[in-house]
Amino acid sequence: MVPAQAGNPGAAGAGAPAALRRPLLGAGRGTALLAAGLGLLFLAVITSLAVGAHQLSPAEVAASLWTEITGTGSTYADDVVASRMPRTVLGIVAGAALAVAGVIMQGLTRNPLADPGILGVNAGAAAAMVTGMAFFGLGATSANVWVALPGALLTVLVVYGLASGRRGSTPVRLVLAGTVISAVLLSYIQAIALTRPDVFAMYRFWAVGSLSGRTMEQAYDVLPFFLVGLIAALATGRTLNALALGEEAAASLGLRPQTAKVTGALAAALLCASATAAVGPIGFVGLAVPHIVRSFTGPDHRWLLVLSAVVGPALLLFADVAGRLVAQPGEMLTGVITALLGAPLLILAVRRMRAVA
Amino acid sequence: MSGVRTLTGNRTVPGPRTFRLGKRLSFQYRRRSVLICLLLTIALILVGAFTLTAGELGLTWRELFGLAVSPPQGSASFVLERLRGPRFLTAVGAGIAFGVAGSLFQTVTRNPLGSPEVVGLTSGAAAGAAATTLWPGYLPVPVAAILGGAIAVGLVWLSTGRGFARPGKLIVAGIGISAVATALTSLAMTTVGEQQAQTLAFYLNGSLASRSWSHVATIAAALVLVLPAAAALQRQLNLVSLGDDMAEALGVRVVRTRTVAILLAVVLAAAAVSVCGPVAFVALVAPQIALRLLGVSAPGVVAPALVGALVLTLSDFTVQQIDVGAALPVGIFTAALGSLYLGYLLFGEARKGVL
Repeated sequence: MVPAQAGNPGAAGAGAPAALRRPLLGAGRGTALLAAGLGLLFLAVITSLAVGAHQLSPAEVAASLWTEITGTGSTYADDVVASRMPRTVLGIVAGAALAVAGVIMQGLTRNPLADPGILGVNAGAAAAMVTGMAFFGLGATSANVWVALPGALLTVLVVYGLASGRRGSTPVRLVLAGTVISAVLLSYIQAIALTRPDVFAMYRFWAVGSLSGRTMEQAYDVLPFFLVGLIAALATGRTLNALALGEEAAASLGLRPQTAKVTGALAAALLCASATAAVGPIGFVGLAVPHIVRSFTGPDHRWLLVLSAVVGPALLLFADVAGRLVAQPGEMLTGVITALLGAPLLILAVRRMRAVA
Repeated sequence: MSGVRTLTGNRTVPGPRTFRLGKRLSFQYRRRSVLICLLLTIALILVGAFTLTAGELGLTWRELFGLAVSPPQGSASFVLERLRGPRFLTAVGAGIAFGVAGSLFQTVTRNPLGSPEVVGLTSGAAAGAAATTLWPGYLPVPVAAILGGAIAVGLVWLSTGRGFARPGKLIVAGIGISAVATALTSLAMTTVGEQQAQTLAFYLNGSLASRSWSHVATIAAALVLVLPAAAALQRQLNLVSLGDDMAEALGVRVVRTRTVAILLAVVLAAAAVSVCGPVAFVALVAPQIALRLLGVSAPGVVAPALVGALVLTLSDFTVQQIDVGAALPVGIFTAALGSLYLGYLLFGEARKGVL
């Protein structure tokens, strides 16, 4: 994957965004970064399986993982690892989904502040959940995938329909439509939650997002959606690079901006919806991870996507572990920790960037 | 970037007229602005009258007009002085404060989406209020809210590295600090008991239920302190809206003006939050409505103040009269209303916004 010469002054001259005047990441350094990211993720997975109310050593985790795979586990350690399996798997899925969706949304809208929730996905999933809780007797112990997912996807379709004028949708219209629809849905959610104490009791926990109390079945439910979204998303790297030059430039490079945007937005929506359905609306991972990764990789979206898919899960798993450690013997909800961890990192990344927004 | 109605070649706007008193005192005004502000004031008075008379508990119109000649009697006095009077006046005051705060923010950041929410003030205030449920007994809720808002704005100011000079960085830092504040609020929401969480959720939406004269006094004091300073800053602010370089060339000390304006806005917004909680969207929408009504490039102080008051009082009148089986906080309604209006506005203009 040797990047094309986007660094020549013809393609990115005085009129191009400042980010594009930086040289693209070389293949050697990119691979090194990827190796580091994978190492970080591996560490996060082991920690996630080992740490909690009952501590295990890495050796015990490795042994239990083996028995888990061969299906012959019976020791106490095996049970502990098995009980931490769902949250670890879901952490990987949700972390990767949110971070990659964040990269795509920031690339599509050419707006470094775009958050994957910007298309109204989180609000849509939450509104569906609240409707289910209020009128259909849905429990809140699990984020019910078959309720949250349709809600999220339906919302994205509505947002897209609103944003599409006669000449397709512009990034700005998309963002605005998402913001407006989110706000309307949020009003609806609040109105229900505040007039129905029983719904409020469930919703206040679901609304923060957490990896705890999940089952493997939930992971299997969202996995197909996640994988389709991820594969579609990883294929958008070159497109996003071209779009960064502006739509006309992208079209003159032989790209179809409208098609590219629709595919990208749908991939992001699928990813975001599966994450929200699985673990609730965990904030900030999708906004912060692309920024943090970008401060290492520079503007090439191909590396950004791959590395975010690795760093996102690591951040989410570490946040989850931290939540287990700070509030022992109980735990603090993951969504609270991601914000506390991610915000300082985001601000550091911003201070390192020369120009933003 | 800001909501400027550029003058196309074939459309001219009548210029300002000058009002003179003797040789020394003079000021400029535009007929349309004066007319619009008069209409807004009349509308506000009408909303006040409807607020006091609507529903089963409302005064009769005869009682309302009787107030001009004699103090109210019996149940009328209870409704006026205890139930709806303070509530309406608090809404007016908080609406003015939100409107002016929003106008100051949008002018200095040259961003139609600039608002107290952006620099973390609202979420900071919410976190402050939430902290009182986690560690009860140290501070009253409004004080904690103001403190939280001030801390958040201070942190944003530190995070941007060079004060509030760079709108882009300001917004990113605001997002980061807001996220931390929101995390603290969520923490409170998920650890306190059911009843407390309900109360907190109500406050966090922004509510004007059961206000008293002390609330009116609080917001009035803040307005008396800050509004003259905001008005005095108008000329520099209008120049800053032309762009930093242009303003510097015309002799405005841009960085200082921006910092002072944001501080004034923070004080106003904090005062408003302390009397009715972080009501959404009023600060964001009021200056934008004012801009369009006046047809000018920078909305100033008076029109956003009146629009803010009108939006908040009208919303509160609506939630008082809507029957959904329980009292809704006014913030839910302003959020719905504001977002719909914003959508209409921004789609109509298809302008570039920074989110």
